[in-house]
Amino acid sequence: MPDVTLYHWEPNANSGKPMLALMEKGVAFKSHYLDLLNFDQHRPEYLAINPQGTIPAMLHGDRVLTESTAIMEYVDEEFPGPRLMPENPRDRWRARWWMKFMDQWLGPSFSMIGWSVFVGPAVRSRDPQELEAAVERIPLPERRVAWRKAISGRFSEEEMAESRRRVELGIRLLEQELGKRRWLASDQYSLADINGFNLAYALPLSQPALSNDDVTPNTLRWLRAIYARPATRACWAMGRTSLVTRAKILEQPHIPAGRSA
Amino acid sequence: MSTTTLYHGEPNGPSLTVLAALFAKQVPADLRYIDLARGERHALECAREPLVALSIEGEGPVLVVDGEAMTDSVFIACYLDDVGRGAALRPADAYARWQTMKWCRQMIERTAPAAAYLGCRAYPPKADAALLEKIGSADLRGRWEQTGAGRFSEEYLADSRAKIRQATERLEAQLGDREWLMGAYSIADLESFAWLAGMVPLVPEAFAGKPRTTAWLERVRHSPPVAQALSLARSADPAASWSVGPEINRWG
Repeated sequence: MPDVTLYHWEPNANSGKPMLALMEKGVAFKSHYLDLLNFDQHRPEYLAINPQGTIPAMLHGDRVLTESTAIMEYVDEEFPGPRLMPENPRDRWRARWWMKFMDQWLGPSFSMIGWSVFVGPAVRSRDPQELEAAVERIPLPERRVAWRKAISGRFSEEEMAESRRRVELGIRLLEQELGKRRWLASDQYSLADINGFNLAYALPLSQPALSNDDVTPNTLRWLRAIYARPATRACWAMGRTSLVTRAKILEQPHIPAGRSA
Repeated sequence: MSTTTLYHGEPNGPSLTVLAALFAKQVPADLRYIDLARGERHALECAREPLVALSIEGEGPVLVVDGEAMTDSVFIACYLDDVGRGAALRPADAYARWQTMKWCRQMIERTAPAAAYLGCRAYPPKADAALLEKIGSADLRGRWEQTGAGRFSEEYLADSRAKIRQATERLEAQLGDREWLMGAYSIADLESFAWLAGMVPLVPEAFAGKPRTTAWLERVRHSPPVAQALSLARSADPAASWSVGPEINRWG
């Protein structure tokens, strides 16, 4: 058994990417769950492994790896199992284009909305002094800013409107491109799909007016196909919060247009 | 036989990375110069392709292979590394490749937006209004409008200078006694040089007292692929040629 330990939160967004990649490859790993809402990722034990305090991090023997997309590429290249990057160089380019677009442009907009509706309210009821002390321990200044905004609900209307614009545009782009080929980057299941599922699995629930079987059939076909994979089922079963149960909406055979949240 | 066309600007920033990778890997291509600082990319037919219009690199080169238009310099360089000849531009070992991609990600996400912001302030690009209207990405158009109006925030300027200092601190530490950042000459050297070469006069304090970084800059500048790319310059100092870059992280 390879000596792999993954430090992760829920199978969702960045944590879910290497989790699902490892499981698709069939690589056994020790799971070390960090409770993001309890600030486990900023405790000294974890900072000794990843001084930046970002999740996820992976240990492979004495190697420490961070940055979820780069970890996925490592997992694909280092371990046997099905290849998760396409063979064709142009398909590989497309996979990387999508991962960057999702990691740096679309993902932060999803997460700004997610933090304002889930993370912020989940921690806001705690003792303010305890929260402030927890925020002070965050090593990266930009993450301190993000946490303060999430805790206080201080995302400006302008910021939220821009995030909503990007989410709408991203939903349209996904639908359009998934109409061109079976999977996101090529005709082969790839890291781009793993990345995309982690971002988009709850879309029909969180954006019922914009993403459903009537207006985004290609996206729903794609999400259901990924959700049906044994690795995805096993991975999502590792979740501990209500975030992951949102994926159950994909079990419905037809999701009609809903009203915006 | 595939047809390959590279639309590129002055050999600086993302155009430099791609030109140097193309020459290093001896990939035959039809080179077409466009003035990125005048927004000329938006006059191209392929600029309307969704993956070009929504590229988050900002005003970078476009490689068109058999009708498919590709953007984002590091990933175009990976493509050229896959299809070209000669020495690989990424390490073969998976862990060293992870280090290379992680390094490039930091350049893309933290250094490039900072360098483009400082570069555009020092050497403002100026696009024709008619071309700006064609820009498919609203946030890229917004950055052009800010740049055109000369609206540069002190907060972003200070943050950008800090990001350049952080980049050269990482460089100095990474170089150690190495000739190249990842051991062998790689995309990490090209991408880091492409964004940082023009920062020497703009953020001199970031380079002061960093002998390894200074020597490395000269090694990369004189490496044959980069020298060949720089020979295509139409201006006296291509490192002073800037156009609107990636956005500065919205989360601070």
